[in-house]
Amino acid sequence: MTGSVMSSVRGGGAGRAVRAEWTKLRTLPSTGWLLFALAGITVAVGAAVTGSVDTADCVTPAACEEDTPRLALSGVRLGQIAAIVLGVLAVGGEYATGTITATLAAVPRRGTVLAAKAAVVAGAVAAAGAVGVLAALAVGRGILPRNGFTAAHGYPPLSPLDGATARAAAGTVLYLVLVALLSLGVATALRDTAAATTAVLALLWIVPIVTRLVGDAAWRERLEKVAPMSAGLAVQSTRDLERLPIGPWPGLGVLAGYAAAAMLVGGVLFAVRDA
Amino acid sequence: MDATIEVRGLSKRYGPTTAVDGLTFTVAPGRVTGFVGPNGAGKSTTMRMIMGLDRPDAGTALVGGRSYRSLRTPLCRLGALLDASAVHPARRARDHLRWLAHANGLPVRRVDEVIELAGLTGAAGRRAGGFSLGMRQRLGIAAALLGDPPVLMFDEPVNGLDPDGIAWMRGLLRSLAGEGRAVLVSSHLMSELEGGADHLVMIGRGRLIADIGVGELLDAASGGRVELRTARRQEAMTVLAHAGATVTAHGTDAVTVAGLDSERIIALLTGAGVTFSGVAAYRASLEEAYMELTRDAVEFQAVTGRVAP
Repeated sequence: MTGSVMSSVRGGGAGRAVRAEWTKLRTLPSTGWLLFALAGITVAVGAAVTGSVDTADCVTPAACEEDTPRLALSGVRLGQIAAIVLGVLAVGGEYATGTITATLAAVPRRGTVLAAKAAVVAGAVAAAGAVGVLAALAVGRGILPRNGFTAAHGYPPLSPLDGATARAAAGTVLYLVLVALLSLGVATALRDTAAATTAVLALLWIVPIVTRLVGDAAWRERLEKVAPMSAGLAVQSTRDLERLPIGPWPGLGVLAGYAAAAMLVGGVLFAVRDA
Repeated sequence: MDATIEVRGLSKRYGPTTAVDGLTFTVAPGRVTGFVGPNGAGKSTTMRMIMGLDRPDAGTALVGGRSYRSLRTPLCRLGALLDASAVHPARRARDHLRWLAHANGLPVRRVDEVIELAGLTGAAGRRAGGFSLGMRQRLGIAAALLGDPPVLMFDEPVNGLDPDGIAWMRGLLRSLAGEGRAVLVSSHLMSELEGGADHLVMIGRGRLIADIGVGELLDAASGGRVELRTARRQEAMTVLAHAGATVTAHGTDAVTVAGLDSERIIALLTGAGVTFSGVAAYRASLEEAYMELTRDAVEFQAVTGRVAP
């Protein structure tokens, strides 16, 4: 009775779970739209911000001291919302629709389920993020010289092959992946799409908003060092690094800490709680 | 051994409420086992514990001798339909089955096989959100059959189905048991299981009330009584009561007689010159037998108003 089907079972547990999660992710229309929005918003907002800055507004072009790669990549501040929603929906959508029962019936090991979800969400966000980041740099390269940011004024054309710019670009993709994983972990812990989205948005934006109200510069710097978005986006900086509250890679490390903590708490709750 | 569910001393509390309380029973291969009890008796909770979705506070539930959470390809061991509405509305039916197949390394051709088995061929490319309840049930059945499992478990599978759907479901359960599989079907309506189940596990307030064959239960509920049909009911009842029988009138012309066998009844009535149109062994309905057994559980709930989830 069960011989024919069981004998044709293929693959190992983890690989099968990843394949199932990938099928699940790509067969929802929302996934395509979110990934498109992630890349599209990153490019469009980056272009708008880049286009609004002109060396004519500064005393001399060099006095602008503009971090042009950072400027071109600033669209991720909004584009990341798509990564947040994708990460939240990957597990929150299962609780909303009840498919979590089917998921755990097919793969009873909670750790395997969460790891597989993390893998496919990270992969999808990395791919869309890379497209968005490279396109944003290309668009910035086109816009910047027209606003006076030329090599002659000390602003070489943007290139993803340039050391610092390459680090900013790769770091931005990693930033998006970590934000998506943070969202996945929070949604796993909260099991509710709306609550998880709100929680992640609050976590990311509360410090940037609060620091504007904090008068004391030392305190502002302290907050920016430990806040996930402010610290994480330090990886986009390519000049005057010594003036940053936190270095590029340590900053991304702070965000990675938040993501790891969220995944750990989510994973533990997922394992010990009833489905 | 593969085609069994063994529940041993299973208990589950939700806060102050005990949903399942020391439940022990076995679901055997080759027959349909009805899992019956009033709403809130603990049927769904028990099924969720069998599948490892909820952790029991005490006891074990084994599928084919192993705990569900330890199974590497669980869909090939147990197929379950707990909640037909639990599909993502934006996903196409075929894609829903496809990811399930991938999760257990099953070949994609199996997806098309179960789509046909469940009668979903024309609808497989549509998004599940547009499905009627009946079609969702069929999609759930297709998912349960995906791994060709020796054990199947359905929670209230005919709830909300039209008469055609109910007949189809009943035939399906019969044929699955006929293939030697163990089939557990829950219902809060005994009448739904009439003619469908071979064996019954009845629970109330999370406790086992009866674990009994349907034939045996009906024999016990019928209690060797005889049903008599006669137009001269008053005279017949007097004669039989004098001979020591317990008689109960029902309907317009029927009397249920306990304490005398058919032959003796015929002899007494003939001797007294009371005519009758029929004498037959009394057959209780499944519903009747069930009501008798669960009366205590239902009464308790009515009095305290506390119903387990």
